[in-house]
Amino acid sequence: MSGTRVGNRIIGADAPVTVGWENIGRVEGGPIKQFVFTYFQPFFLFSFIAFWYYAPNSIAVASTAFAMALAFRILLLGLEWVNPRYDSWRLTWKEFATDLFYVGLGYTILRMVDVYIGDGVIIEFVQTSFDWESFSWFTAMPLLVQALAISMIFDFGQYWMHRGMHNWYPLWLTHAPHHYITQLNINKGAVGNPVELFLIGLGVGGFFDFLPRAFLIAGAIGVTVGIYQHINVRFNTPAWWRFIFNTTEHHSVHHSQDYEATRSNYSATWIIWDRIFGTCVDGEAEVLGMEGGRRMDIRETMHFPFTEGYKSTKAWLGQKLKPQLASDQHREPAE
Amino acid sequence: MSIEESLSPREAFERLDPLLTTAGSEYQIEGDTLTYSKENPAAQDKLATFTSGTLSVANEGRQTRLNYDVGSTALLLCLLAPLLFLGFAQLAIIANTFHEPEAAEEAAEEEEEEPAELHWLDAMLGAPEPEQAGEEDEEEKDEEEAHSPTAAYVLAGIFAALFVVGRILEPWLLRRTLRKALAGTLELPTTQIKNDAEANASIAPHIGGTGER
Repeated sequence: MSGTRVGNRIIGADAPVTVGWENIGRVEGGPIKQFVFTYFQPFFLFSFIAFWYYAPNSIAVASTAFAMALAFRILLLGLEWVNPRYDSWRLTWKEFATDLFYVGLGYTILRMVDVYIGDGVIIEFVQTSFDWESFSWFTAMPLLVQALAISMIFDFGQYWMHRGMHNWYPLWLTHAPHHYITQLNINKGAVGNPVELFLIGLGVGGFFDFLPRAFLIAGAIGVTVGIYQHINVRFNTPAWWRFIFNTTEHHSVHHSQDYEATRSNYSATWIIWDRIFGTCVDGEAEVLGMEGGRRMDIRETMHFPFTEGYKSTKAWLGQKLKPQLASDQHREPAE
Repeated sequence: MSIEESLSPREAFERLDPLLTTAGSEYQIEGDTLTYSKENPAAQDKLATFTSGTLSVANEGRQTRLNYDVGSTALLLCLLAPLLFLGFAQLAIIANTFHEPEAAEEAAEEEEEEPAELHWLDAMLGAPEPEQAGEEDEEEKDEEEAHSPTAAYVLAGIFAALFVVGRILEPWLLRRTLRKALAGTLELPTTQIKNDAEANASIAPHIGGTGER
């Protein structure tokens, strides 16, 4: 496989990756279907933003945001059924149940742990350690500017955490199980080792003071943009959207079986960060996963970072101590 | 399950072969009985839910009868999952008993901050003013202060429902798959066939011999 040159890199040398927007698939069907799957994403993005911008204070609360996000997720599950991007990514009962298990962990035990060691605690520590009053002018900015700032700052943090995971072995050990997914579906973002899910959830946006409504609008951007990372739906996503936002196409490249392609498209929402830092690859891939598409089960996902870490450390120590032992053996006995 | 075609056990098993030669599968035939097992099959494996079983073929005149007895670890785990989430709910309740005094203390100490003013542009566009101090919803406050077991209860319920759905749906799909395979009309996705072939070649060193028949 020869691959395609993107900047200094060759993408798709190990496994098939389609590079370039002009080469990726389009929605097939009549004009109504074309219309729906072309404007679906912008419609819901702007609708959600408008809702949170104008919702009365009594409605603009976290529980409403949770209910809306859940309803939207169910709608997207329906779309996966109606217009899948690849038949080979069809959601099965077993895959759904497995994904839901990880989602469940996120909403229960991980949330509990997060109270004690999560970003809330870190943010509180940082806020009490420094004088952040100088940033209070943030709250005087227009709501949408605040929301964009929250979303972009948070995503900036996620970008570097994610990039760190692909470049520093101890962090990679926690992230690797997520790369064993062999298809993208709406809940696949939750699949991974809990340590990684905790790390990727750490945000830096919370260091600054913003209006609560701005947080809700920022959350709406996450719900109506970031959610498409792991989805099996074919959209005719508008070019402007693809330029600034992450898409399922970008993220499928990141999950492909091609090693070089996995080292791209790190952001969760704003692909513009990847463009700025030179890690963006526009394209898509169907064949995903690691080790030729081996599926990792729940048990292995839970222990992988620890058992692999143990094996690697043991091997590393073995290498380090080997020359020492060898030289000891060859040493002449003392008289 | 039976089909309107007379097949010898060997012919029947040959037709079932594509279902049993996927990555991670092993099977053996003894006379008219086939025993199979699958080690963590691929997501799109047609027998992904039923990872072990015995199939036996009986020729009944013009008909071929396939008797199957299959097992599913996935369904078993789904049946047990509600217990795990009920356990998490209990853990949340226990954690609250340690957490509550601190939370109450914090709430008491919390200062009533002056609300920030809305930017003139937002005021002009009609966005609601920020909440005044002390106007916060008490219910919301309670949710923030403690571990809520609600999500765990909801998930326990969802997994119980998911088990019922799976218990009905998956055997029905299995029957349909086996019937199609025996009739020779089963179509496997091209990518799956390709994946399986590649996976058999590439993952064998990693999973110690699975992928062999």
